[in-house]
Amino acid sequence: MVISDAAREKIRAEMAKYPKPEGALLAALHLVQKQTGHISGETAQEIADLFGIHPIRVMEVVTFYNMFYDEPQGRHHVHVCTNLPCSLRGARELLRGLEAHLGIEAGETTKDGRVTLAHEECLGACGYAPMLRVDETYHENLDLAAAKRILDELE
Amino acid sequence: MAKLTIDGVEYEVKDGRTILQALDDLGLLMNGVDVPHYCWHPKLTIDGSCRLCQVEVEGFPKLQIGCNTPVKDGMVVHTKSERVKHAREGVMEFLLLNHPLDCPICDQAGECKLQDYAFEYGVKHARTEEPRRALKKNVDLGPTIKFDQERCILCRRCVRFCREVPKTGELAVFNRGDHSVIETVPGMQLDNPYSMNVADICPVGALTTKDFRFKIRVWFLEEAPGICTGCSNGCNVYLGVANNKVYRYVPRRNDSVNDTWICDVGRMTYEEIGAPDRLKLPAVRSDSGVLEAVPFAKAIDAAAARLRSLVERKGAGVLAAVASAHASNEDLLVLARFLDAYGIRHSGVTVRRGDSDDLLVKAEKAANAEGARTLGFEEAGPLAKQIAGGGIDGLIVLGHDLLDPAYLGGERTLAKLDTVIVLDTHVSALERVAHVILPVRHAAEKDATYVNHAGRVQRSWPVVEPSFEAYADGEVISRLGAALGLPGFDGKFDVREVSRSLGAAAAAFRGIDLESVGEQGIPLAGKG
Amino acid sequence: MGLKVPFVTGYLTEHFGDDAFPTLEGYRAKGGYEAARKALGSMTPDEVIELMKTAGLQGRGGAGFVTGLKWSFMPKKGDKPRYIACNADESEPGSFKDRILLERGAHQMLEGILIGAWAMQAEKTFIYVRGEYAHPAACVQRAIDECYAAGILGANCLGTGFRHDVVLTRGAGAYICGEETGLLESLEGKKGQPRKKPPFPAEYGAFGMPTTVNNVETFSHVPHIVAKGADWFRGFGTEKSPGTTIFGVSGHVARPGLFELPLGTRLDEIVFQHAGGVPNGRKVKGVIPGGMSMPILPAGQLDVAMANEFLRERKTMLGTGGIMVMDDTTCMVRASCVITYFFRDESCGQCTQCREGTGWLHKLVTRIERGAGSIEDIEILADVTSKMEGQTICAFADAAAWPVQGMLRHFREDFELHVEHKKCPFPESFEL
Repeated sequence: MVISDAAREKIRAEMAKYPKPEGALLAALHLVQKQTGHISGETAQEIADLFGIHPIRVMEVVTFYNMFYDEPQGRHHVHVCTNLPCSLRGARELLRGLEAHLGIEAGETTKDGRVTLAHEECLGACGYAPMLRVDETYHENLDLAAAKRILDELE
Repeated sequence: MAKLTIDGVEYEVKDGRTILQALDDLGLLMNGVDVPHYCWHPKLTIDGSCRLCQVEVEGFPKLQIGCNTPVKDGMVVHTKSERVKHAREGVMEFLLLNHPLDCPICDQAGECKLQDYAFEYGVKHARTEEPRRALKKNVDLGPTIKFDQERCILCRRCVRFCREVPKTGELAVFNRGDHSVIETVPGMQLDNPYSMNVADICPVGALTTKDFRFKIRVWFLEEAPGICTGCSNGCNVYLGVANNKVYRYVPRRNDSVNDTWICDVGRMTYEEIGAPDRLKLPAVRSDSGVLEAVPFAKAIDAAAARLRSLVERKGAGVLAAVASAHASNEDLLVLARFLDAYGIRHSGVTVRRGDSDDLLVKAEKAANAEGARTLGFEEAGPLAKQIAGGGIDGLIVLGHDLLDPAYLGGERTLAKLDTVIVLDTHVSALERVAHVILPVRHAAEKDATYVNHAGRVQRSWPVVEPSFEAYADGEVISRLGAALGLPGFDGKFDVREVSRSLGAAAAAFRGIDLESVGEQGIPLAGKG
Repeated sequence: MGLKVPFVTGYLTEHFGDDAFPTLEGYRAKGGYEAARKALGSMTPDEVIELMKTAGLQGRGGAGFVTGLKWSFMPKKGDKPRYIACNADESEPGSFKDRILLERGAHQMLEGILIGAWAMQAEKTFIYVRGEYAHPAACVQRAIDECYAAGILGANCLGTGFRHDVVLTRGAGAYICGEETGLLESLEGKKGQPRKKPPFPAEYGAFGMPTTVNNVETFSHVPHIVAKGADWFRGFGTEKSPGTTIFGVSGHVARPGLFELPLGTRLDEIVFQHAGGVPNGRKVKGVIPGGMSMPILPAGQLDVAMANEFLRERKTMLGTGGIMVMDDTTCMVRASCVITYFFRDESCGQCTQCREGTGWLHKLVTRIERGAGSIEDIEILADVTSKMEGQTICAFADAAAWPVQGMLRHFREDFELHVEHKKCPFPESFEL
């Protein structure tokens, strides 16, 4: 079993909040992915069993949303916003600088599995551009040096 | 009822219907009123995503999709305006943008709605230089279906079908936007008893059945109406015929019988028609015990001689007749007359049984069990016991269902009989015990009526001609009756006349005959 | 992270600098939940809806529909439970106002929700927060927990006997979930693909029940209207567009950030006075006035009051009030590449025109930017937008088509120069 008992408990508590338990599917995927890093076929089956639905319902949801992954990821997600307000203020240069710094291209994971670097569409920080998101934390008003420091501190 | 005006013509339509549903009810959709559509299907939930069925509805500033717009009393709809034309052109151009230009090697060519509508409603030349999407080709979705992702236009009919009809839900759209693709979950297959229907409802060449693909170009096929005889549901089909050969069954819509579907097992029964094990030669067992092929007339005479000899020795009381529930009403009526005329008191019908579901598949694995019962034939169970226990010396067998474990289980009991006359479509173990063998026609080779499980009388048409000499069971029995000199038997068999007599034989058939049954069938009296 | 309180504050944001304000205690210290007490204690649901109609508050999520009217669409009777969905899926590029309202004003929003729940007799609210907003979501959850502990939410709201529950749902990264029926689908644990209408959410919404969807900022105005009245509210803004809103200014300005100002404030005033104008001695080339879905305005048309009745005359809209400023180095074809990429990436993929059209637009502008485009491609670009517009299940295809139309309307020359020079003629423009 991939999903821990503790996570199962939390998922059941989420299910109880909705008129139909499936309302908690996104919450369940967030919870499980925090533990597993990505949603594999096996994990999807376990989640499907928990909800009493076909695993394909889980996988169609996983592939629809940006924040769910069906493939293994780095330990940390570094997402640089490259939408227009950020691009106008140097987001692309920042992303290229980080690509060079990590020796990978956006969309790739460092060989040591430490960081998956990606560009992302608007994160709601347009007034504080350029910015990046490391996992659940926003870092705003960045320059390349500051961004590199943030990445270097990741374990 | 609501009044709906379409392109200046007023119609009365049922309340609570959308524009497309109302047109479908009227039988006008793409048959008088052209509102092209991809995602909408009369037997699936409304999707509303292909946007091709947009029409102009007076009072609405924007075009509305016909599939999801409820008809209101007094609604005025235009399907031919410039705005509608512009919108259709747009949808067609968008759909063709990434569609591979491989019609010459695509098996759907000829029955492809993308081809048809592009010709009818599309723009005439491509305006894109960008490479088309490269996706998976020739994907094995399961035991019956191949999938070409590049050709898919994402109408999601197949996805909805699997969720809504067999309720197995094997397909889904993964990803989003122009990365959307239809897939199964890795390690799972599209595998359900109705899987091949997805190929029928796929408007393009994305989903094709492994059975039919690349067999023949569809424009060589004549689609002839008929029914599936695999079980007592009697699903309506089109038989795809070319060169006097049936290449496939596809479901033919009948909202009272099978909607627009057919089960995979039934669909594949078309193979029985041209099967290599068809019974092709009349034969008579010689004194030395071997079956020898003889001309048809000789076989009839031999059968008559054997029967006459037995009756002379032991009387008609030792004779019995067992008909398969595959036999048509007309065949059974002639058999009943024969039994009467010859004084044969023992008769019955054999019905092979198997799995059923709550969709289409019925337990009785023959087309006409209900017709046999209506004509007074009783199930042959007790008769089978009697045959096994002795007291029956001669047997006329229509079809080989008597060998089913529910009846005799095998040919051993029959081997003891003095006379066994077999009329059959296919070779079976009966060959080893029969004294006379007479090839007969398959439903696809004759005019005949059948009664399905719900009491609906349906018919078959002769759409192929057997390459060997064979007649309807009724005709063979008629000839046998004449050879025996039975009263009322002159050797002629007029299936229309016989069918008109059904009402006299059983009140439920009153007013029903081959002509009146038509393509959609009619219920037996009291079953409507 | 730091605190991003608006540079200019109004009634919505005046206490956002106060670190206690996000707490129940701090919110109550500023009169919090008194409006809810008034509504639940002394007003009938219909009176609240009438008040909202009189106040004329327009939804602040982008479409600008009158809130009181929307609330009145909810069925008055029936056995079915009624729900509210609070749209906190802020994802419109250029828009970042809801985030501060969640982080610093969660109780203000919750009070608005509670009043709306009373008015519509709704038993439950789902607050749908975009997945990336982890911190804002935590702030809202804390406020919800405080409300339950204090008896503001739950079985006996504020001791009035009215029951209301609030559930926080987190999205998972899909712009389309900000579309109200996409949001409803997502709430049900599905792909966020917008629903065809009819049926409309007021009839068949979340989990098949009557549902009203309002934006975070919309709810945040509600307690102020109940507390101070419709006349007071109408004292801000224009006659047709009353109240303040929080404008977000981004791009090439000296002081990017948030500004709470009355609707009808002039765009040039916001850009040049409040946001400090364009730095580095540059000039404005164009401004997107209301989030990326709204058509751009050229430098010469910034003398417009920021309210829909005036913006419409210039073929654009207020949207979410996200103002993006581009200086005169900017290549508008490049900007179009970024815009069309976004819509291509975020299209849910249901409707043909949107799924295929967004991709086509992006391919076309990318080719033109590369210098490989032709004059005919510019014509095709316009034609494609015309075939996407107004024909799909939701307004996403419009949102993808309009900005391109705006670019062609005001900056067609930029596109033609690319064709002429067979390369991008704006070497100083932002990088792609």
